[in-house]
Amino acid sequence: MRLPLGTIAGARSGDKGGDANLGVWVRTDEAYAWLAEELTAARLKELLPEAGEVVRYELPNLRALNFVLPGLLGDGVASSTRFDPQAKGLGEWLRSRHVDIPEALL
Amino acid sequence: MIRIGNASGFYGDRLGAVREMLEGGDLDVLTGDYLAELTMLILGRDRMRDANLGYAKTFLRQMEDCLGLAVEGGVTIVANAGGLNPLGLAAAIEKVGVGAKIGVVTGDDLRADFPESLTANAYLGAWGIAECVRAGADVVVTGRVTDASLVVGPAAARFGWARDDWDALAGATVAGHVLECGTQATGGNYSSFTSIDADRPGFPIAEVHADGSSVITKHEGTGGAVTVDTVTAQLLYEIGDPAYLGPDVVSHFDTITLEPHERGARISGVRGSPPPDTLKVCLNSLGGFRNGTTFVLCGLDVEAKADLVRRQLETALGPDGLTWTLARTDRADADTEETASALLHVTIKTSDPKRAKAFSRTAIELALGSYPGFHVTAPPSDGTPFGVYRAAYVPRDRVEHQAVLPDGKVITV
Repeated sequence: MRLPLGTIAGARSGDKGGDANLGVWVRTDEAYAWLAEELTAARLKELLPEAGEVVRYELPNLRALNFVLPGLLGDGVASSTRFDPQAKGLGEWLRSRHVDIPEALL
Repeated sequence: MIRIGNASGFYGDRLGAVREMLEGGDLDVLTGDYLAELTMLILGRDRMRDANLGYAKTFLRQMEDCLGLAVEGGVTIVANAGGLNPLGLAAAIEKVGVGAKIGVVTGDDLRADFPESLTANAYLGAWGIAECVRAGADVVVTGRVTDASLVVGPAAARFGWARDDWDALAGATVAGHVLECGTQATGGNYSSFTSIDADRPGFPIAEVHADGSSVITKHEGTGGAVTVDTVTAQLLYEIGDPAYLGPDVVSHFDTITLEPHERGARISGVRGSPPPDTLKVCLNSLGGFRNGTTFVLCGLDVEAKADLVRRQLETALGPDGLTWTLARTDRADADTEETASALLHVTIKTSDPKRAKAFSRTAIELALGSYPGFHVTAPPSDGTPFGVYRAAYVPRDRVEHQAVLPDGKVITV
Protein backbone atom coordinates (compact mmCIF):
# COMPACT_ATOMS: atom_id res chain seq x y z
CA MET A 1 0.00 0.00 0.00
CA ARG A 2 1.18 3.51 -0.80
CA LEU A 3 1.66 5.21 2.56
CA PRO A 4 4.11 7.52 4.31
CA LEU A 5 7.25 5.65 5.36
CA GLY A 6 6.61 6.98 8.87
CA THR A 7 3.58 4.73 9.14
CA ILE A 8 5.97 1.98 10.16
CA ALA A 9 9.34 3.70 10.63
CA GLY A 10 10.77 6.10 13.17
CA ALA A 11 13.61 8.48 12.32
CA ARG A 12 15.97 10.95 13.91
CA SER A 13 18.39 13.25 12.15
CA GLY A 14 21.06 15.76 13.09
CA ASP A 15 24.37 17.34 12.22
CA LYS A 16 28.08 16.68 12.60
CA GLY A 17 29.82 19.71 11.24
CA GLY A 18 28.90 19.94 7.59
CA ASP A 19 27.53 16.38 7.43
CA ALA A 20 23.99 15.34 8.24
CA ASN A 21 23.03 11.96 9.63
CA LEU A 22 19.67 10.30 9.41
CA GLY A 23 18.77 7.18 11.39
CA VAL A 24 15.69 5.17 10.44
CA TRP A 25 14.32 2.24 12.38
CA VAL A 26 11.40 -0.16 12.45
CA ARG A 27 10.00 -2.42 15.15
CA THR A 28 9.94 -5.98 13.80
CA ASP A 29 12.41 -8.24 12.05
CA GLU A 30 10.05 -8.56 9.07
CA ALA A 31 9.83 -4.80 8.75
CA TYR A 32 13.62 -4.52 8.96
CA ALA A 33 14.10 -7.08 6.21
CA TRP A 34 11.82 -4.97 4.02
CA LEU A 35 13.42 -1.66 5.04
CA ALA A 36 16.97 -2.88 4.36
CA GLU A 37 15.85 -4.03 0.91
CA GLU A 38 13.77 -0.96 0.07
CA LEU A 39 15.75 1.93 1.47
CA THR A 40 19.02 1.75 -0.44
CA ALA A 41 21.22 4.83 -0.70
CA ALA A 42 19.88 5.38 -4.22
CA ARG A 43 16.29 5.11 -3.01
CA LEU A 44 16.99 7.60 -0.22
CA LYS A 45 18.20 10.06 -2.83
CA GLU A 46 14.98 9.57 -4.77
CA LEU A 47 12.93 10.27 -1.67
CA LEU A 48 15.11 13.21 -0.57
CA PRO A 49 16.21 14.82 -3.85
CA GLU A 50 18.21 17.48 -1.96
CA ALA A 51 20.64 14.79 -0.78
CA GLY A 52 23.99 14.70 -2.53
CA GLU A 53 26.34 11.91 -1.55
CA VAL A 54 24.73 9.25 0.65
CA VAL A 55 26.54 6.62 2.73
CA ARG A 56 24.44 3.85 4.26
CA TYR A 57 25.25 1.75 7.33
CA GLU A 58 23.23 -1.22 8.60
CA LEU A 59 22.46 -1.86 12.27
CA PRO A 60 20.32 -5.02 12.19
CA ASN A 61 20.64 -5.34 15.98
CA LEU A 62 18.64 -2.11 16.31
CA ARG A 63 16.51 -2.86 13.20
CA ALA A 64 17.93 0.39 11.92
CA LEU A 65 19.72 1.98 9.00
CA ASN A 66 21.95 4.99 9.44
CA PHE A 67 22.57 7.34 6.54
CA VAL A 68 25.34 9.92 6.46
CA LEU A 69 24.96 12.78 3.99
CA PRO A 70 28.41 14.34 3.71
CA GLY A 71 28.54 18.03 2.99
CA LEU A 72 24.77 18.62 3.03
CA LEU A 73 25.23 21.42 5.58
CA GLY A 74 28.22 23.16 3.98
CA ASP A 75 30.63 24.44 6.63
CA GLY A 76 28.35 23.62 9.56
CA VAL A 77 25.34 25.10 11.32
CA ALA A 78 26.68 28.61 11.84
CA SER A 79 27.58 29.01 8.21
CA SER A 80 24.95 26.96 6.37
CA THR A 81 22.34 28.77 4.35
CA ARG A 82 20.19 25.64 4.24
CA PHE A 83 16.59 25.98 5.36
CA ASP A 84 17.25 23.52 8.22
CA PRO A 85 20.96 24.07 8.95
CA GLN A 86 21.22 21.32 11.59
CA ALA A 87 19.20 18.75 9.63
CA LYS A 88 16.80 18.39 12.56
CA GLY A 89 13.78 17.92 10.31
CA LEU A 90 15.37 15.66 7.71
CA GLY A 91 14.11 12.47 9.41
CA GLU A 92 10.56 13.72 9.63
CA TRP A 93 10.69 14.76 5.98
CA LEU A 94 11.73 11.23 5.05
CA ARG A 95 8.93 9.75 7.18
CA SER A 96 6.41 11.85 5.30
CA ARG A 97 7.45 10.48 1.88
CA HIS A 98 5.09 7.95 0.35
CA VAL A 99 6.39 4.48 -0.42
CA ASP A 100 4.83 1.10 -1.19
CA ILE A 101 4.64 -0.76 2.12
CA PRO A 102 3.64 -4.45 2.11
CA GLU A 103 0.28 -4.87 3.80
CA ALA A 104 1.64 -7.61 6.04
CA LEU A 105 3.77 -5.01 7.79
CA LEU A 106 0.93 -2.66 8.62
CA MET B 1 25.66 -0.32 40.07
CA ILE B 2 26.13 3.44 39.71
CA ARG B 3 23.14 5.64 39.00
CA ILE B 4 24.08 8.50 36.68
CA GLY B 5 21.59 11.14 35.63
CA ASN B 6 21.67 13.88 33.03
CA ALA B 7 20.22 17.38 33.43
CA SER B 8 21.34 19.11 30.24
CA GLY B 9 21.68 18.22 26.57
CA PHE B 10 22.86 21.62 25.35
CA TYR B 11 23.69 25.17 26.45
CA GLY B 12 20.17 26.52 26.81
CA ASP B 13 18.40 23.37 28.02
CA ARG B 14 15.79 23.44 30.85
CA LEU B 15 17.32 25.59 33.60
CA GLY B 16 15.36 23.88 36.36
CA ALA B 17 16.47 20.38 35.38
CA VAL B 18 19.34 20.18 37.88
CA ARG B 19 16.94 20.79 40.74
CA GLU B 20 14.38 18.40 39.21
CA MET B 21 16.96 15.64 38.98
CA LEU B 22 18.36 16.20 42.49
CA GLU B 23 14.92 16.32 44.11
CA GLY B 24 13.25 13.69 41.93
CA GLY B 25 14.93 10.56 43.28
CA ASP B 26 18.21 8.81 44.03
CA LEU B 27 21.37 9.52 42.05
CA ASP B 28 25.09 8.97 42.53
CA VAL B 29 26.17 11.35 39.78
CA LEU B 30 24.45 14.11 37.85
CA THR B 31 25.95 15.04 34.48
CA GLY B 32 25.31 17.88 32.09
CA ASP B 33 26.39 18.40 28.49
CA TYR B 34 26.65 22.05 27.47
CA LEU B 35 28.93 21.90 24.43
CA ALA B 36 28.11 21.53 20.79
CA GLU B 37 30.21 22.61 17.85
CA LEU B 38 28.13 25.78 17.60
CA THR B 39 28.40 26.39 21.36
CA MET B 40 32.19 26.46 21.13
CA LEU B 41 31.83 29.30 18.64
CA ILE B 42 29.40 31.19 20.91
CA LEU B 43 31.75 30.75 23.86
CA GLY B 44 34.69 31.82 21.67
CA ARG B 45 32.92 35.08 20.96
CA ASP B 46 32.14 35.52 24.69
CA ARG B 47 35.83 35.03 25.42
CA MET B 48 36.77 37.62 22.80
CA ARG B 49 34.69 40.16 24.72
CA ASP B 50 35.90 39.13 28.20
CA ALA B 51 38.76 36.73 28.85
CA ASN B 52 37.15 35.70 32.16
CA LEU B 53 34.17 34.22 30.28
CA GLY B 54 34.07 31.34 27.82
CA TYR B 55 32.14 28.94 30.05
CA ALA B 56 28.42 28.07 30.20
CA LYS B 57 26.97 30.77 32.43
CA THR B 58 23.70 28.93 32.96
CA PHE B 59 25.57 26.12 34.70
CA LEU B 60 26.95 28.62 37.23
CA ARG B 61 23.38 29.77 37.93
CA GLN B 62 22.34 26.15 38.39
CA MET B 63 25.19 25.63 40.86
CA GLU B 64 24.27 28.80 42.76
CA ASP B 65 20.80 27.31 43.12
CA CYS B 66 21.60 23.64 43.70
CA LEU B 67 25.21 22.92 44.64
CA GLY B 68 24.38 22.81 48.36
CA LEU B 69 21.57 20.38 47.63
CA ALA B 70 23.92 18.13 45.64
CA VAL B 71 26.65 18.11 48.28
CA GLU B 72 24.10 17.38 51.00
CA GLY B 73 22.68 14.49 49.00
CA GLY B 74 26.09 13.08 48.11
CA VAL B 75 25.53 13.53 44.38
CA THR B 76 28.66 14.23 42.33
CA ILE B 77 28.15 16.81 39.60
CA VAL B 78 30.07 16.28 36.34
CA ALA B 79 29.67 18.78 33.50
CA ASN B 80 31.58 19.99 30.47
CA ALA B 81 30.24 23.49 31.19
CA GLY B 82 33.80 24.77 31.52
CA GLY B 83 33.81 25.18 27.75
CA LEU B 84 36.82 27.26 26.82
CA ASN B 85 37.58 28.27 30.40
CA PRO B 86 37.09 25.44 32.90
CA LEU B 87 39.45 27.01 35.45
CA GLY B 88 37.47 30.25 35.26
CA LEU B 89 34.26 28.33 35.88
CA ALA B 90 35.84 26.50 38.83
CA ALA B 91 36.88 29.83 40.36
CA ALA B 92 33.33 31.13 39.94
CA ILE B 93 31.87 27.99 41.58
CA GLU B 94 34.32 28.40 44.45
CA LYS B 95 32.64 31.74 45.16
CA VAL B 96 29.24 30.05 45.46
CA GLY B 97 30.59 29.29 48.91
CA VAL B 98 29.20 25.91 49.92
CA GLY B 99 32.71 24.54 50.31
CA ALA B 100 32.32 21.96 47.59
CA LYS B 101 35.44 20.10 46.49
CA ILE B 102 36.04 21.02 42.85
CA GLY B 103 37.98 19.05 40.26
CA VAL B 104 38.87 20.45 36.85
CA VAL B 105 39.87 18.76 33.61
CA THR B 106 42.04 20.78 31.24
CA GLY B 107 44.35 20.34 28.28
CA ASP B 108 41.85 20.35 25.43
CA ASP B 109 42.67 23.90 24.33
CA LEU B 110 44.98 23.68 21.29
CA ARG B 111 44.91 27.27 20.12
CA ALA B 112 48.72 27.29 20.20
CA ASP B 113 48.68 24.59 17.49
CA PHE B 114 45.92 26.23 15.45
CA PRO B 115 46.56 29.97 15.83
CA GLU B 116 44.33 30.85 12.90
CA SER B 117 41.26 29.47 14.70
CA LEU B 118 39.01 31.28 17.16
CA THR B 119 38.59 28.01 19.07
CA ALA B 120 40.59 24.77 18.83
CA ASN B 121 39.69 22.02 21.28
CA ALA B 122 40.64 18.38 21.31
CA TYR B 123 37.95 15.92 22.37
CA LEU B 124 39.38 14.48 25.59
CA GLY B 125 38.23 11.21 27.08
CA ALA B 126 37.06 10.08 30.50
CA TRP B 127 40.24 9.52 32.47
CA GLY B 128 40.69 13.07 33.76
CA ILE B 129 37.14 13.00 35.11
CA ALA B 130 37.81 9.59 36.66
CA GLU B 131 40.87 10.98 38.50
CA CYS B 132 38.85 13.89 39.90
CA VAL B 133 36.02 11.60 41.02
CA ARG B 134 38.48 9.18 42.66
CA ALA B 135 40.01 12.12 44.52
CA GLY B 136 36.62 12.87 46.07
CA ALA B 137 35.47 15.85 44.00
CA ASP B 138 31.88 17.02 44.58
CA VAL B 139 31.93 18.84 41.26
CA VAL B 140 34.01 18.10 38.16
CA VAL B 141 34.07 20.73 35.44
CA THR B 142 35.75 20.13 32.12
CA GLY B 143 36.38 21.75 28.82
CA ARG B 144 35.89 19.80 25.61
CA VAL B 145 35.60 16.18 26.62
CA THR B 146 33.42 13.87 24.56
CA ASP B 147 29.84 13.99 25.73
CA ALA B 148 29.86 10.31 26.66
CA SER B 149 32.94 10.81 28.89
CA LEU B 150 30.72 12.52 31.45
CA VAL B 151 29.20 9.09 32.08
CA VAL B 152 32.23 6.91 31.38
CA GLY B 153 34.50 8.82 33.82
CA PRO B 154 32.43 8.35 36.99
CA ALA B 155 31.65 4.71 36.06
CA ALA B 156 35.33 3.95 35.41
CA ALA B 157 36.21 5.49 38.79
CA ARG B 158 33.54 3.50 40.61
CA PHE B 159 34.38 0.13 39.08
CA GLY B 160 38.12 0.59 38.76
CA TRP B 161 38.13 -0.12 35.04
CA ALA B 162 41.50 -0.37 33.32
CA ARG B 163 42.39 1.53 30.17
CA ASP B 164 41.95 -1.66 28.18
CA ASP B 165 38.62 -2.82 29.60
CA TRP B 166 37.33 -2.16 26.09
CA ASP B 167 33.91 -3.79 26.41
CA ALA B 168 33.06 -2.09 29.71
CA LEU B 169 34.25 1.28 28.38
CA ALA B 170 32.24 0.77 25.19
CA GLY B 171 29.12 -0.16 27.15
CA ALA B 172 29.40 2.97 29.28
CA THR B 173 30.10 5.05 26.17
CA VAL B 174 26.85 3.85 24.65
CA ALA B 175 25.01 4.73 27.89
CA GLY B 176 26.69 8.13 27.77
CA HIS B 177 25.64 8.60 24.15
CA VAL B 178 22.04 7.89 25.15
CA LEU B 179 22.18 10.43 27.99
CA GLU B 180 24.09 13.22 26.31
CA CYS B 181 21.10 14.84 24.65
CA GLY B 182 18.91 14.90 27.73
CA THR B 183 15.24 14.37 26.99
CA GLN B 184 15.90 13.13 23.46
CA ALA B 185 16.26 9.73 25.20
CA THR B 186 13.01 10.01 27.11
CA GLY B 187 10.50 10.83 24.41
CA GLY B 188 11.59 14.32 23.37
CA ASN B 189 11.74 14.92 19.59
CA TYR B 190 10.41 11.41 19.16
CA SER B 191 8.74 10.21 15.93
CA SER B 192 5.99 8.35 17.81
CA PHE B 193 5.29 11.24 20.19
CA THR B 194 1.56 10.75 19.80
CA SER B 195 1.81 7.36 21.54
CA ILE B 196 3.37 8.71 24.78
CA ASP B 197 2.97 11.57 27.23
CA ALA B 198 5.35 13.93 25.43
CA ASP B 199 4.43 17.21 27.12
CA ARG B 200 7.28 17.44 29.60
CA PRO B 201 9.72 14.54 29.41
CA GLY B 202 11.83 13.83 32.47
CA PHE B 203 15.61 13.75 32.09
CA PRO B 204 17.31 10.37 31.60
CA ILE B 205 19.25 8.17 34.01
CA ALA B 206 21.69 5.34 33.24
CA GLU B 207 22.20 2.67 35.88
CA VAL B 208 25.61 1.46 34.80
CA HIS B 209 26.86 -1.94 35.97
CA ALA B 210 30.41 -3.17 36.52
CA ASP B 211 30.48 -4.88 33.09
CA GLY B 212 29.46 -1.66 31.33
CA SER B 213 25.88 -2.78 30.69
CA SER B 214 23.17 -0.36 31.73
CA VAL B 215 19.50 0.25 32.31
CA ILE B 216 18.22 3.51 30.87
CA THR B 217 15.42 4.93 32.99
CA LYS B 218 14.14 8.18 34.52
CA HIS B 219 12.84 9.35 37.86
CA GLU B 220 9.46 7.94 38.83
CA GLY B 221 6.53 10.20 38.11
CA THR B 222 8.25 12.26 35.42
CA GLY B 223 6.80 12.71 31.94
CA GLY B 224 7.92 11.20 28.68
CA ALA B 225 8.85 7.54 28.30
CA VAL B 226 11.90 5.32 28.20
CA THR B 227 11.34 2.39 25.85
CA VAL B 228 13.38 0.40 23.35
CA ASP B 229 11.98 2.78 20.75
CA THR B 230 12.89 6.08 22.46
CA VAL B 231 16.39 4.77 23.21
CA THR B 232 16.84 3.52 19.64
CA ALA B 233 16.02 7.02 18.41
CA GLN B 234 18.79 8.50 20.53
CA LEU B 235 21.29 5.76 19.70
CA LEU B 236 20.95 6.78 16.07
CA TYR B 237 21.47 10.49 16.74
CA GLU B 238 24.60 12.08 15.32
CA ILE B 239 26.44 8.87 14.53
CA GLY B 240 28.27 7.73 11.44
CA ASP B 241 29.96 4.38 11.01
CA PRO B 242 28.71 1.81 13.56
CA ALA B 243 32.34 1.65 14.77
CA TYR B 244 31.89 4.79 16.86
CA LEU B 245 35.27 6.40 17.43
CA GLY B 246 36.11 7.93 20.79
CA PRO B 247 39.29 8.97 22.57
CA ASP B 248 39.20 6.01 24.99
CA VAL B 249 37.58 3.24 23.00
CA VAL B 250 35.90 2.39 19.72
CA SER B 251 32.32 1.38 20.56
CA HIS B 252 30.67 -0.98 18.10
CA PHE B 253 27.05 0.11 17.82
CA ASP B 254 26.22 -2.95 15.73
CA THR B 255 26.89 -5.13 18.80
CA ILE B 256 24.42 -3.36 21.11
CA THR B 257 21.68 -5.52 22.56
CA LEU B 258 18.72 -3.35 23.48
CA GLU B 259 15.82 -4.90 25.37
CA PRO B 260 12.76 -3.74 27.26
CA HIS B 261 13.17 -3.42 31.02
CA GLU B 262 10.47 -2.90 33.64
CA ARG B 263 11.76 0.61 34.30
CA GLY B 264 12.93 1.48 30.78
CA ALA B 265 15.37 -0.24 28.46
CA ARG B 266 18.46 -2.36 29.01
CA ILE B 267 21.69 -2.05 27.02
CA SER B 268 24.19 -4.92 27.03
CA GLY B 269 26.64 -6.86 24.90
CA VAL B 270 28.51 -3.84 23.56
CA ARG B 271 31.95 -4.69 22.21
CA GLY B 272 34.82 -2.25 22.39
CA SER B 273 38.19 -2.09 20.68
CA PRO B 274 41.27 0.14 21.08
CA PRO B 275 40.86 3.78 20.05
CA PRO B 276 42.69 5.46 17.17
CA ASP B 277 46.07 7.01 17.98
CA THR B 278 44.85 10.48 17.06
CA LEU B 279 42.40 12.78 18.81
CA LYS B 280 39.72 14.76 17.01
CA VAL B 281 39.92 18.54 17.30
CA CYS B 282 36.95 20.90 16.93
CA LEU B 283 38.04 24.08 15.13
CA ASN B 284 35.91 27.17 14.73
CA SER B 285 37.03 30.24 12.88
CA LEU B 286 35.20 33.38 11.89
CA GLY B 287 34.03 32.91 8.33
CA GLY B 288 32.67 36.38 7.70
CA PHE B 289 29.34 38.10 8.17
CA ARG B 290 25.86 37.05 7.28
CA ASN B 291 22.47 38.59 6.99
CA GLY B 292 19.18 37.56 5.49
CA THR B 293 15.51 38.15 5.14
CA THR B 294 12.39 36.44 3.89
CA PHE B 295 10.12 38.10 1.34
CA VAL B 296 6.48 37.04 1.43
CA LEU B 297 5.01 36.57 -2.05
CA CYS B 298 1.23 36.36 -1.88
CA GLY B 299 -1.18 35.27 -4.55
CA LEU B 300 -0.60 35.26 -8.31
CA ASP B 301 2.63 35.38 -10.35
CA VAL B 302 4.83 34.03 -7.55
CA GLU B 303 7.77 33.14 -9.81
CA ALA B 304 7.68 36.53 -11.55
CA LYS B 305 7.48 38.33 -8.21
CA ALA B 306 10.51 36.39 -7.00
CA ASP B 307 12.39 37.23 -10.22
CA LEU B 308 11.65 40.93 -9.86
CA VAL B 309 12.81 41.32 -6.27
CA ARG B 310 15.84 39.17 -6.88
CA ARG B 311 16.85 41.25 -9.91
CA GLN B 312 16.32 44.46 -7.94
CA LEU B 313 18.37 43.36 -4.94
CA GLU B 314 21.18 41.88 -7.04
CA THR B 315 21.41 45.03 -9.16
CA ALA B 316 21.53 47.31 -6.14
CA LEU B 317 23.89 45.22 -4.03
CA GLY B 318 25.73 42.98 -6.49
CA PRO B 319 25.04 39.24 -6.63
CA ASP B 320 28.15 38.05 -4.76
CA GLY B 321 27.46 35.88 -1.72
CA LEU B 322 23.69 35.85 -2.11
CA THR B 323 21.79 32.57 -1.79
CA TRP B 324 18.12 32.43 -2.74
CA THR B 325 15.48 29.80 -2.08
CA LEU B 326 11.85 30.03 -3.06
CA ALA B 327 9.54 27.85 -0.96
CA ARG B 328 6.24 27.34 -2.73
CA THR B 329 4.19 27.21 0.43
CA ASP B 330 1.35 28.94 -1.44
CA ARG B 331 -1.83 27.25 -2.63
CA ALA B 332 -4.11 28.37 -5.44
CA ASP B 333 -7.45 29.90 -4.45
CA ALA B 334 -6.51 29.72 -0.75
CA ASP B 335 -8.96 30.70 1.96
CA THR B 336 -6.34 32.27 4.26
CA GLU B 337 -3.75 34.89 3.32
CA GLU B 338 -0.97 32.84 4.88
CA THR B 339 -1.70 29.74 2.81
CA ALA B 340 -1.89 31.94 -0.30
CA SER B 341 1.73 33.01 0.30
CA ALA B 342 5.12 31.70 -0.82
CA LEU B 343 8.37 32.50 0.99
CA LEU B 344 11.48 33.76 -0.76
CA HIS B 345 14.52 33.41 1.52
CA VAL B 346 17.70 35.28 0.76
CA THR B 347 20.96 35.04 2.69
CA ILE B 348 24.14 37.00 2.20
CA LYS B 349 27.55 35.77 3.32
CA THR B 350 30.40 38.19 2.90
CA SER B 351 33.80 39.01 4.32
CA ASP B 352 32.80 42.69 4.46
CA PRO B 353 30.70 43.70 7.50
CA LYS B 354 29.66 46.90 5.71
CA ARG B 355 28.17 44.88 2.88
CA ALA B 356 26.27 42.68 5.36
CA LYS B 357 24.83 45.83 6.90
CA ALA B 358 24.06 47.46 3.53
CA PHE B 359 22.01 44.35 2.71
CA SER B 360 19.34 45.47 5.19
CA ARG B 361 19.04 48.98 3.89
CA THR B 362 19.00 47.82 0.28
CA ALA B 363 16.29 45.22 0.92
CA ILE B 364 14.05 47.64 2.81
CA GLU B 365 14.50 50.45 0.26
CA LEU B 366 12.57 48.22 -2.15
CA ALA B 367 9.46 48.29 0.04
CA LEU B 368 7.38 50.69 -2.07
CA GLY B 369 8.96 49.95 -5.41
CA SER B 370 8.91 46.21 -5.93
CA TYR B 371 6.35 43.43 -6.41
CA PRO B 372 2.70 43.97 -5.39
CA GLY B 373 2.07 42.95 -1.80
CA PHE B 374 5.73 43.46 -0.75
CA HIS B 375 6.40 42.55 2.85
CA VAL B 376 8.97 40.60 4.82
CA THR B 377 8.51 38.20 7.76
CA ALA B 378 10.95 40.20 9.91
CA PRO B 379 13.12 43.17 9.02
CA PRO B 380 16.76 42.20 8.40
CA SER B 381 19.26 43.01 11.16
CA ASP B 382 22.65 44.70 10.88
CA GLY B 383 24.21 41.34 10.08
CA THR B 384 26.13 39.01 12.37
CA PRO B 385 29.50 37.27 12.21
CA PHE B 386 29.32 33.59 11.32
CA GLY B 387 31.65 30.72 12.13
CA VAL B 388 33.10 28.00 10.01
CA TYR B 389 33.51 24.61 11.64
CA ARG B 390 36.23 22.14 10.71
CA ALA B 391 37.55 18.97 12.32
CA ALA B 392 41.25 18.19 12.56
CA TYR B 393 43.18 15.26 14.03
CA VAL B 394 46.32 15.41 16.16
CA PRO B 395 48.56 12.70 17.64
CA ARG B 396 47.63 11.92 21.25
CA ASP B 397 51.01 13.04 22.58
CA ARG B 398 50.37 16.58 21.35
CA VAL B 399 47.64 16.89 23.99
CA GLU B 400 48.36 17.23 27.70
CA HIS B 401 45.18 15.94 29.33
CA GLN B 402 45.28 17.03 32.97
CA ALA B 403 43.16 16.62 36.07
CA VAL B 404 43.36 19.38 38.66
CA LEU B 405 42.29 17.63 41.87
CA PRO B 406 40.35 19.36 44.66
CA ASP B 407 43.56 19.72 46.71
CA GLY B 408 45.25 21.55 43.84
CA LYS B 409 47.45 18.66 42.78
CA VAL B 410 47.75 18.31 39.00
CA ILE B 411 47.84 14.87 37.42
CA THR B 412 48.69 14.30 33.76
CA VAL B 413 46.38 11.60 32.54
